[in-house]
Amino acid sequence: MRKRLLLGLILPAFILVIWELIARAVDNPALIPSVGAVLNRLLHPFNDLLSTGHYIHHISASGIRVLMGFTIAVCIGVPLGLLTGRIAALYSVVNPIIEFLRPICPIAWIPLAMVVFKTYTVADIFGAHYTRTIFGDIQIGMLFVIFYGGFFPIFINTVHGVISVKNIYIESARLLGCDKKRLFRKVILPSALPSVLTGLRIGLGTAWLVIVAAEMLPGSEAGLGYLIIYSYELADMDIMITSIILIGAIGALLSYGVKLVEDRTSTWQAKER
Amino acid sequence: MAFLSLDNIDKVYSGGKQEPVVALKHISMVCEEGECICIVGSTGCGKTTLLRLIAGLEQPTAGRALMAGKRITDINPDATLVFQQYSLFPWCNVIDNISFSLALKGMDKNIRYEKVRELIELVGLAGFEKAYPYELSGGMQQRAAIARALAYNPKMLLMDEPFGALDERTRHRLQEELLTIWEREKKTIIFVTHNIDEAVFLATRIYIMRDSPGSIEQEITVDLPRPRQRQSKEFIDLHIRIRNILGKILDRESK
Repeated sequence: MRKRLLLGLILPAFILVIWELIARAVDNPALIPSVGAVLNRLLHPFNDLLSTGHYIHHISASGIRVLMGFTIAVCIGVPLGLLTGRIAALYSVVNPIIEFLRPICPIAWIPLAMVVFKTYTVADIFGAHYTRTIFGDIQIGMLFVIFYGGFFPIFINTVHGVISVKNIYIESARLLGCDKKRLFRKVILPSALPSVLTGLRIGLGTAWLVIVAAEMLPGSEAGLGYLIIYSYELADMDIMITSIILIGAIGALLSYGVKLVEDRTSTWQAKER
Repeated sequence: MAFLSLDNIDKVYSGGKQEPVVALKHISMVCEEGECICIVGSTGCGKTTLLRLIAGLEQPTAGRALMAGKRITDINPDATLVFQQYSLFPWCNVIDNISFSLALKGMDKNIRYEKVRELIELVGLAGFEKAYPYELSGGMQQRAAIARALAYNPKMLLMDEPFGALDERTRHRLQEELLTIWEREKKTIIFVTHNIDEAVFLATRIYIMRDSPGSIEQEITVDLPRPRQRQSKEFIDLHIRIRNILGKILDRESK
């Protein structure tokens, strides 16, 4: 375990050294910031950034957006996937449009989302815009784009999980007194669960991936994606690089969290040939 | 009225553009309650299809399958099938697999665990209650599947070469255990095998099948006294007789 950790640290350390060497050679913080400057930003997450708030503020703004968009994607993707996997007719109805929409990059929808949703926020929907809350930072257009990115992996993996339930398990259960109603809960759901969780992991990853693009929507005043654009405009490279590093680190953590749940519940599938 | 009767059954599989395959042709057989019938025949003679029809997993193309005079049109509630392939639920441990049918009846966890304890010992899986199927050998998985079927406690057990993957010693032991259960619980068993020794040891009657299309070649009533001695002359004579019949079928087919 310790050896694996050490091996995993070799490349990052190497990259840091190269980065620092280049930064010193270029000697222009508006082009390449030094490792120390970025480290300093990371170590002081509560310091104000160009009067936009501190890192924790921006991280929670991005985090809540992603979690909301992702939750909507789960609430629609999982049930719809379960039904589509079970009902052949529904599959025939849904599949062509899914296959058409899936390859469209969520970012391609951003201009349309801007036109349709303008700068409406979740706070506007609930009529709570007179006080400043975190919901005032969550634009509907953003949620749409995050949802779009998260939905397809969740939906497709759920459908796949349901479709690939082995017939012998269904027949065995039926011959042990399981009626069609309970078949879903007793056989199909547990059998499809590992695949559903894989969908959630990939979906959450994708949702996090599109956050930068979603936060480029006008009207955004917070978020790591917003920070990247804003620091670009002000040529503050250490804030930009720090934001990028944070995006990567948080994405890895999210993925690791779901993976823990996956490992706990899906060992059997990994061990099955 | 017979407990189970198959009345001139045909089963044809017609899959899309392919030639239809006649799996079973003119199958008629009866089975009285409490019998242990063995069906012997080479691989691919439709033995499995026959069991699936009785289980209600499939419907005959022609003819009728009747259970106590009633047509089997859906899953047969009086029968359960021990599959030849591994069929344990991989997401459940051994004890949850075995007590699956009891859980469906709404039985409490502790009560159903207690109920299947004896069965687990019977199939020699004591100590493996919490193991998952992927942690078991093929033979152990099959024994768990048998225990699962027994826990359901159906009137009729359909068994599709359940001991095929086991070594001879385990196989003999489980054959004896199966007979004990059969006698004690007054079960009806239909047992598919290609092992002649197994059929002669277990059966009250043996149906010998030929293939393409699958149909019944001969029916033999086995009235050897129990417990049957594998070394006895009668046992060996019957073994040879069945082997000769199967040999003739093979000869005829290769011509």
